[in-house]
Formats: sequence, C-alpha cells, structure tokens
Amino acid sequence: MSPKFELEIKQLNKEIRILKKKLERSEVDRARLEATNRSKEFLLKRVICDLQEYQSILEKKSSDLEQAFNELTKMKDKLVETEKMAALGSLVAGVAHEISTPVGTSVTLASTLMDETRSLMMTVKTGQLKRSTLNNYLDIAKESTNLILNNLNRAGELVQSFKQVAVDQSSLEQRTFSVKHYLEEVAISLSPQFRKDLHTVTIEGNDAIAIHSYPGALAQVVTNLMTNSLIHGYSQQAKGHLRFDVTKYNDQIVIQYRDDGCGIPTQILEKIFEPFFTTAREKGGSGLGLHITYNLVTQKLQGRIAVQSEVGKGTLFTIELPTSVT
Amino acid sequence: MLKVAIGHSSDPDSLEAVKEVIQQCQSTLADQTPQAGLLFAAIDFDHHLILQQINEAFPKIELIGGTTDGEISSVLEFQQDSLTLMLFCADDIEFRASIGRNVSQNPEAIARQAVETAKHRLTLPIQLCITVPESLTTSTVSILQGLKAALGTIPIFGGAAADQWQYKRTYQFFNTEVLSDAVPVLLVAGKLFFSYGVAGGWRPIGKRSLITKVNKNIIYEIDGKPALDFYHYYLNNSAPDAVYPLAVFPPGQEQFFLRGSVGHDLERGSITVSGDIPEHSVVQITDASIDDVVMASQTASTEAWAKYPGQAPDAAIFFSCAWRRHILGTRANEEYQAIAHSSKQVITGCGFYTYGEIAPLSDTGQTFFHNTTFVTLLIGSQ
Ligand SMILES: Nc1ncnc2c1ncn2[C@@H]1O[C@H](COP(=O)(O)OP(=O)(O)OP(=O)(O)O)[C@@H](O)[C@H]1O
Ligand SMILES: [Mg+2]
Repeated sequence: MSPKFELEIKQLNKEIRILKKKLERSEVDRARLEATNRSKEFLLKRVICDLQEYQSILEKKSSDLEQAFNELTKMKDKLVETEKMAALGSLVAGVAHEISTPVGTSVTLASTLMDETRSLMMTVKTGQLKRSTLNNYLDIAKESTNLILNNLNRAGELVQSFKQVAVDQSSLEQRTFSVKHYLEEVAISLSPQFRKDLHTVTIEGNDAIAIHSYPGALAQVVTNLMTNSLIHGYSQQAKGHLRFDVTKYNDQIVIQYRDDGCGIPTQILEKIFEPFFTTAREKGGSGLGLHITYNLVTQKLQGRIAVQSEVGKGTLFTIELPTSVT
Repeated sequence: MLKVAIGHSSDPDSLEAVKEVIQQCQSTLADQTPQAGLLFAAIDFDHHLILQQINEAFPKIELIGGTTDGEISSVLEFQQDSLTLMLFCADDIEFRASIGRNVSQNPEAIARQAVETAKHRLTLPIQLCITVPESLTTSTVSILQGLKAALGTIPIFGGAAADQWQYKRTYQFFNTEVLSDAVPVLLVAGKLFFSYGVAGGWRPIGKRSLITKVNKNIIYEIDGKPALDFYHYYLNNSAPDAVYPLAVFPPGQEQFFLRGSVGHDLERGSITVSGDIPEHSVVQITDASIDDVVMASQTASTEAWAKYPGQAPDAAIFFSCAWRRHILGTRANEEYQAIAHSSKQVITGCGFYTYGEIAPLSDTGQTFFHNTTFVTLLIGSQ
C-alpha cells in the first residue's frame, strides 16, 4: 500500500473511533436529558402551585389590610367628631361664664331695688312718708333699673353672638360676614379659657372686609390655633400676646395669626399638620387639632395655610381664603 | 516571559490521543522545554499510558490534572471523551507540583502538607495555587481549609475532579501517577500577572423556607420538617439533585450563595450539602435556563478581562461546573463560544467541567468552594 493510502486509512479509522464514542455518549446523554426534563417539568409545576398559594395568601392579607385601614379611618372620623364636641363644650362653658357677670349684676341690683321698695312700702303704711324719702327712692329705682337694663342688654347681646358661633360650629352653613367681627366673637367665646391678666388678644384689620364662607369652619380653625398657643406656647406664668391681622389682596383674604410663645423647632415643624402628631400626648393631646385645621382650610374653606416659627420668638400661621367659596 | 502551549484531541484511543496532543504542543514550543503542565482527561482513557507518554516527551515536567465531565480548549472548544494538555515555559516564573495522598484520612492536614512540600522547593514569591482535588471520598471544603491554612491569603483556583456523572470514582494526576482520594497542587511563583471572574446564573424560585435544624453541612430540618421532604416536594419524590442546588440566604441577608446536595440519609431525612450553612438561613430551590448559564459565563470572562492588570494575558484556564453542562445539554459549546466572544482576542485556553469550583469570592477575596459557577482565570507574564 502506498504511504498516502496508509495515512488516509489511519485518518478514517480515527474518525470512526470518534464517531462511535460520540454515539455511545449521546445515548447516555439523551437518557439523562430526558430525566432532567421530567424533573424540571415537575419542579416548575410545583413552583406554579407555590405561586398560586402565595397569591391567595397575599389577597387575604391585602383584604385584611383594607379592613384595618377602614377601621382606622372610622376611628379617626370618630376622634374628629369628639374634637368638635369638645370645642362645642368649651363654647358652652364660655357662654355660662360670660353671661354670669351681667346676669349676676342684674340680680344684685334687682334685689337692692326690692329691699328699697319694701322699706318704702312700710313707711307708706305708717303714714310718715316724707317727700325727701320718696325722691331718694325714685333716684335709686331709676339708677338701678337703668343698670339692670344695661346688664340684661349686654347678656342678650352675648347670647346672640354665642348663638351665632354655636350655630355656625354645629351646622356648616355658608353666609356673608365681616371677618374681623367674627374673629372678635370667637375670641370672646374663648376668653374664659385664659387668664385676662396674663394674655392679651388683639384683632387688627378693616371691619369692612367681608367673606362669603362657612363661619363654623373658620371658628373651629381659630379655636384650634388659639388653644394651641395657650397650651403649647406659654409656660405657666408667661404673658402672651395673641394677634390677628386681617388684610385683603385682590380676591384673597389673608388672616395672619401670631403668638409670641416658645415657637416650634424646625425638625418637627413639617410634621405638625400630620394626623396624630403631638408633643403633648401625656397632657391629653390627640395630635388631630392642626390636622383638622389643615383639612378645614384647604377643603371646606378652599384656601391655604402655612406656618413659620422661630424657637423663642413665636409662631405665625398665614391663612389665605377666597372672598367667596364656590 | 511566559510561553503557553496547548493540545487537545478527541481520539478515544489513548495512545493516539496523547500522541496528537504532544505533537500539537511541540509545534508551539519549538525546542523549548516546558516546566509544568495541566492535564484534563475524560474518564474512559488509559490515564497511566497518557502520563507515561507525556513524561517521555517532557521529562521532569511538574504535572497535575484530573478526570473531568467534559473538556474545553481553544483548539477543539467543547468536547466530551477528549484529552487536553496545557504546558508552561518561563524563566522568571516557577511552577512546583506536589500531592496529598489518601486525603480522606485527614483532609485538612494532608492538603496543608501538600502545599508545604511544594513551597519548600520555591525561591520566588508565590502568586497562586491551582488544584484538582478529589470530591467523592471526602469534603472538598475541608481540603480547601487545609490549603488555605498553608497559603494564607494567596488565592486558590481549581475544580474538583469528576467522572462523567457516574459518581463512582474520580482520578487525580501527579507527574506519572494516577491516584484517587488525592489532592494535587501546582504552586505558581514569580513574575506572573493574573485576574479572575466568577459567575453562576442559577436563580432562586419557589417558596422561601427556613432552615430549622442544621449542623455544619448537614441539613436536618427545613420549616420544622425533615429536610428531604423539601426536595421530595419539588422533585417528585426523587433524591435531591445537584442540578437544583439550594440558594442559601444567611439570616438578614439579601445575597445568596448556592449549596448543592452531595448526599442524603433516607432514614433521618437529612441532606448533606457541599458546604456549611449558617443556622436560621432562608433557603429556596433554584433553577437555571440555558440563557442564564451562558450569560453568566460571559459575565465571569468579561470580569476577568476587565480586571487584568497587565497588557494582555497569555492564557486562560476555565473551571465550569458539571451541572452547567447538564443544563446546556447539546448546546454545551455555546458556553465556550460566549467566553470566546466576550474576550478582546482569541486566547490560548483550556479547562474542564468539574464537581465544584474553587476561586476567591470577588467581594472578600476569601477562597471559596463554589457550585454551579464558571471561573475564568487569566495569566500572563509581568
Ligand atoms: N402655637 C404653637 N406653639 C408651639 N407649638 C405648637 C403650636 N401649635 C402647635 N404646636 C405643636 O404642634 C403639635 C401638633 O398640634 P395639634 O393641634 O395638631 O395637636 P395637639 O395640640 O398636640 O393635640 P390636640 O390639638 O389634638 O389636642 C403640638 O403638639 C405642638 O407640639
Ligand atoms: Mg391642638
């Protein structure tokens, strides 16, 4: 055989060896791959079952969460309601306190007048009535009836303004009113809550600035802001000055309310409108006051509220309201 | 200067194959004498004959290697039932091979001794260690601990010898010896640059379960039930399969590592895995697709190239998990294609499919016994 053929045969033999080996190997490999495919299929089915199980667990969890959320919302609404009732309660206390002064004065005056009348009648019975005695009685009677009338008028006025606030507070009706006057009325209704010898309240601005809005909501806003100043702003003996400035720019009414209390540290300033944020939980604060205030201003009153504060100097709330709600 | 030669033959005839491989190497080397070599061979060859032939061609060569579950090289790319040999020549790089025998008797001490023996014969500073240890007779993790004890922070690379998925007997090579239950090591010292990349491609799927009872690498209970139940649930009551390793999330961690099952106890319901597992770890079964596997190999290669400190490496050595080949099936060559395309140039390289890869973790630099990963090691002269 020629060497050329020999080489070729050698080469062909090698190729046959390789092919035979490959065939053997591929039989083994095929069987293994089939087994792998079977187990893979089973594994994937299992994983799909796992996923379905998880899905139903997740669905249950999310419905539980939804329920919990609904309960919380209900609880929050309830708390808001309670807060409203508390505001109404303090109003009633205010009414009682304010009215007791003129009514009490009237009672004293009336009983003095009754005493004088009784002794005049006795004198008349004995027939020794002197002209001077009669004149004296008439003077007293005139003065005291005058005073009684004044006091009762004052009481009547108070009842009237309280009635207004009370009605506004419970029912949310819209009407047109003078912002400044209304603030005065609310401030008076709150006056029993603070000592007049410690704190002063001023309300600045043009009487003529009128707004068509929900007075009850505004009363609640102002009540919350003032009570916050009194509770959080001042230590026991500190004298405070609470001040409202009412101004009008174009169609916006701006109420600036400031106190000169302790102020609010920067790191909590952005949280104060959050529901349940309070630094006075142990004193019974619920942390809802400013949250409600915020909602009332932005929703019911269709305005905006912002806060600025400096520790040691005081706090300023700026409320912008449209002259007329829609 | 490092010179690397490579030979690869798929001839099932041992003598013909080794002759072909030697011839390929000699044509690259011209008349240079190689100092050291790595030999990766399929299980069916006559390994004694092969080693003798190599030793006759290159007397005094420092050679290590082992049996495989598939071989890869830049000559024939992916092959099964083949033989690949890589030879090194360099005057400023030292190579020293050594062997730890009967390693199962005391894996840590014997592995450590093997390194010490090779170290004594080195004069230059050690750069790295390559090993192809036994994995069926003893814990590769323990062998690795012994190697680490002797090497300190010097990185170790390699793969556990394999036997084409028969799980009966693997062989390790040391010069002219064919051994089992042994750990051959090759220390490389001197003016060598190297870099590496490691990537997996397996993803956790299915339920997250809690390991409730574990002792080192033996898991007794998962979710309060026998650990075997966990595998039975997913694998239709068949035995734990290494192709589906566990993803292990150590307590409080988002990162996982993989642990394949290496044995189980039907009576106790326990599973023995390829490395220790921290208590209270969360585990998940894993799966890999062909694309995941190929992508990951590319990632490992790209990472190694990106980190290479010198101009350009002279050679690449690959260790890829046998389970990857299993997933790849008839598309096994795609893994080699992916790394070949991801590198900047065609580079002399060889490697094999292992029963567990050894390489440092990329974040801590601690050498780790991996499963299901692809390791690329690039080397070149400084
Ligand atoms: N004028 C102010 N000066 C200082 N701190 C204030 C002032 N107004 C509000 N704060 C702070 O803002 C927090 C939140 O106020 P908010 O009215 O929402 O809740 P509260 O007053 O604590 O409780 P609640 O009003 O529900 O009884 C208060 O706890 C307080 O720390
Ligand atoms: Mg409050």
